[in-house]
Amino acid sequence: MKKITKRAISSLLLAALLAAGMGVYLYRLVVHGGEWASFYANDSVYSDGVLNRGTVLDRNGTLLAFAGDQVYGYAESAAVRTACLHVVGDVNGNIGTGALTAFRPQLIGYNLLTGTTGKGGDVKLTIDADLNVTAYNALAGRNGAVLVCNYRTGELLCMTSSISYDPNVGFNASDSAYEGVYINRAISASFVPGSVFKLVTLAAAIENIPDLYSQTFYCAGSVDVDGHTITCTAAHGTLTVEQALAHSCNCAFAQIALQLGGDVIRDYADAYGLTSSHSLNGIETAAGRVDDAGSDRENVAWEGIGQYNDLVVPYSLMRLVCAVANGGTVTEPTLLAGKSNGSERLMNAATANAISDMMSYNVEYNYGSSMFPGLQMHAKTGTAEFGDGTSHAWFAGFITNADAPYAFVVLVEHGGSGYATAAPIANTVLQKAVFG
Amino acid sequence: MDILTGFLDGSAASVLAAVSRYAAPLLALWIVVRCVKSMLRGRYEPETWAYLYLPGEVMVPLRHWECIIGRARSSDACIEHPTIDRMHACLIRDADGAWTAYGLGKGETQVNGRTVPDGGLPIEDADVLTLGDVPARFVDLTEEERSSLLRYRRRPGRVARPVSTLLLLSVYQLLLTLQQLVYNHDAGFETALAFAAICGAGWFYFIVLRASGQRGFEVELLAFFLSTVGMSVAASSVPTAMLRQILFLAAGIVLFLVLGLWLRDLTRLKATRLPALIAALVLLAANLLLARVTYGAQNWVQLGGFTFQPSEFVKVLYIYAGAATLDRLFVNRNLLFYIAFSAVCVGALALMGDFGTGLVFFVTFLVISYMRSGSFATVLLAVTAAALGVMLVLTVKPYILARFQTWGHVWDDVYNTGFQQVRSMSAAAAGGLFGFGAGNGWFVDIVAADTDLVFGVVCEELGLITGLSCVASVVALACFVVKNAASGRSSYFVIAAAGAVSMMMMQLALNVFGAMDILPFTGVTFPFVSRGGSSLISCWMLIAFVKGSDVRANASFAVKRPDKFSGGAGVADDAADAPTYDPRPRRRAPYRRPGPQA
Repeated sequence: MKKITKRAISSLLLAALLAAGMGVYLYRLVVHGGEWASFYANDSVYSDGVLNRGTVLDRNGTLLAFAGDQVYGYAESAAVRTACLHVVGDVNGNIGTGALTAFRPQLIGYNLLTGTTGKGGDVKLTIDADLNVTAYNALAGRNGAVLVCNYRTGELLCMTSSISYDPNVGFNASDSAYEGVYINRAISASFVPGSVFKLVTLAAAIENIPDLYSQTFYCAGSVDVDGHTITCTAAHGTLTVEQALAHSCNCAFAQIALQLGGDVIRDYADAYGLTSSHSLNGIETAAGRVDDAGSDRENVAWEGIGQYNDLVVPYSLMRLVCAVANGGTVTEPTLLAGKSNGSERLMNAATANAISDMMSYNVEYNYGSSMFPGLQMHAKTGTAEFGDGTSHAWFAGFITNADAPYAFVVLVEHGGSGYATAAPIANTVLQKAVFG
Repeated sequence: MDILTGFLDGSAASVLAAVSRYAAPLLALWIVVRCVKSMLRGRYEPETWAYLYLPGEVMVPLRHWECIIGRARSSDACIEHPTIDRMHACLIRDADGAWTAYGLGKGETQVNGRTVPDGGLPIEDADVLTLGDVPARFVDLTEEERSSLLRYRRRPGRVARPVSTLLLLSVYQLLLTLQQLVYNHDAGFETALAFAAICGAGWFYFIVLRASGQRGFEVELLAFFLSTVGMSVAASSVPTAMLRQILFLAAGIVLFLVLGLWLRDLTRLKATRLPALIAALVLLAANLLLARVTYGAQNWVQLGGFTFQPSEFVKVLYIYAGAATLDRLFVNRNLLFYIAFSAVCVGALALMGDFGTGLVFFVTFLVISYMRSGSFATVLLAVTAAALGVMLVLTVKPYILARFQTWGHVWDDVYNTGFQQVRSMSAAAAGGLFGFGAGNGWFVDIVAADTDLVFGVVCEELGLITGLSCVASVVALACFVVKNAASGRSSYFVIAAAGAVSMMMMQLALNVFGAMDILPFTGVTFPFVSRGGSSLISCWMLIAFVKGSDVRANASFAVKRPDKFSGGAGVADDAADAPTYDPRPRRRAPYRRPGPQA
């Protein structure tokens, strides 16, 4: 009998497997319960497939969207509705990266304890709705995106994407201007970066070319690389690396890129997170792209200048300038008030400070600080040549004003010169952000 | 009725229901914890049926009806002597009290100087059993002696009194009734009646059995608890068909009692194993010939006004015929016969397309065949054969293959293949720890929510706490069976009980994990909780086997009291020869490691 008794323990093995399975279930419930409960079939929080509870507020408590039993609505002001459309999303879930979709577990009031048996929840965003309106208006109907982030705390103050529409009115779907209107250009699309990418090449050069600061680069308006001509905006003459960045000199950066090699530049782009996707409170951002041009020296040169196959997501570029502003460490941006997302060191402090100084020099030496009254501006322009002869206008950087540690990225698609088009938008938005 | 509805529509009832929404899951947990404590906290207290006296008056008690004697530690009576084999001999008591000695090893075994042949030799009180060179005196116990021993055994129900647990269960049933009436707009008189019926059944059962001297009620209380949760699921799902549910429950309890009483007599069991096996095969054959296909599986038979699943009853017969007494376990032929029988059962289920039930049978087969043979090789062989069989089924039945392909990817296809699973996961998450309240869910309207996906309904309406309590109930039964195994009378009861709980656990695993996408969705029922007549009845019958393994003093109606056996040495003349004893010091006799006696 004792033998049989011992063998009976085999049925305990089954009990152990059962317990292990329940463990797996509980683990998944803890991790994914919010998503499961947010599924549209959960009739306790959806009425006919439309969310029936929850409120989205901006950082000042301005109502951005609400859902109730059989009713839902957006912000009072049409300007706020339009400027905050992408960050708020829509009740039908067309804008997948919007708060109404991405933060459903919070909106439906989900938690492990009460499931969705309780009340709906408030989602308070870090976004300033008025700043978004200023930024959206500054884009003036052109496609593009504006991002402003507090690089100390990670709070995302401004995120707007154009073209947009008033969700209370809708848009004319047959109008080609509204193509891709559901896409948040700030986080879900990548663009040719042009000269803003020189920040990456510069960082690689600082860390890999020992005599970088003693070198000079000659620019005759163009440079010949293996029989191909790399053109520049002007003949800049002999330049130090600071001056090369300030003038955004293609000839100089072509030479720097060739000294580094395409693989090093790509590795830096990878390390700085430009080519990977990031999680913004669970919202997956798009990934950019930087290819190693290999032995084709002309393409290596263009790779380092931010052309060739380079593509950058505005959000990823903002992370990079945040890191430069913050001594090399990026405080991961957050959209949810009071929620911090940790931080990541992208570069050492010396590199960050060197880049920071040069970005400040850019403004004083070339752009003119009078263009940004009251702002301690550090920035880099970008005028990215697009295949069709037009250019994307970029302006990326940060200010070091006390109590206003803001990093920013402005992109205007087909907007022409970064200096002429994007920089004034940045100034308008930051004036509003700093001085109200 | 109008007064009741009038009262319940009032805000007072709504408030009460809202409060009870939190109270009910905690009550469920409390009920289960009480039962578990009562089942598992008692000390190991074996019965004693006879003694062997070794030279030097060293006493070895025989704790079971089937005792292996040998040098090995795993022997029931361990005698360390060089002339004794590791497994030397075996003493088996039949239900009428007659003992038989069998030789197992190569060593010599004699009764009163006669060598024991293959078929065994009867052995009686005061006979001398010679093992190798060791002579041992066999002392059988009289009914009076067993009766006096029984007085020293602890009775169950001290740790947690069953009457209190039953009271808690009644309050639980009341709370669920209230919630159903407030939240479920289709629930009415019939729902209230159903809960009243299960409550009444519990008390009736308890009073009748308590009056007849029974003390252990944990197993039944767990079954009543699970059936109550099942009743709530039925009320949420089809509140107009509650009368059927009451009938099924009644039938289940009656058959549970009948089978339990039947289990008291091992002789009868041994004689009816073959008829049970034949009945199982007939049921399966009838199923294959008569059943119609529902949801891909051909397992429903219509008979009169009722449809039923023959495979559910085959489960009971399979355990009944599959368990065996120790004497049969030494004959390989018997095991092969059992493997063939199992293969036919699983094969028939595969033909029906009832893949889930086939799997449940297969795992039960593994447990039973391992318990019978103790051989991993046999089990391994069976697993290999089964793997080939599964491949065959997958190629023959494309819809089963589809379910395997969906497994782990249910969120990729929420409109089609993952439809049911994602909804059950969503509903379960939505319910949180306490649920929306009985009758207050949306998920129950999904196809098969009240059967294959019932864990989602339970978690949504009654909360995760209740869901886990239900799972824990079944696991507790398994632990109880393993604990009982140590003092089991015959291996028949131990194997049957272990087979029954394994079957229920496998069913539970496939049900819960299938619905939650941890295993492929196979569509089997959650014991007691899933709505359905055949399933409920078969679960009640399965726990009769659990009752059959419970030999605590006066604990189980399915186990005959040791002092109620006539026969043995219970003849007045012999009583004088039997040693007079005070059983307590003897229990501490150093029987575990007696030294060499030669």
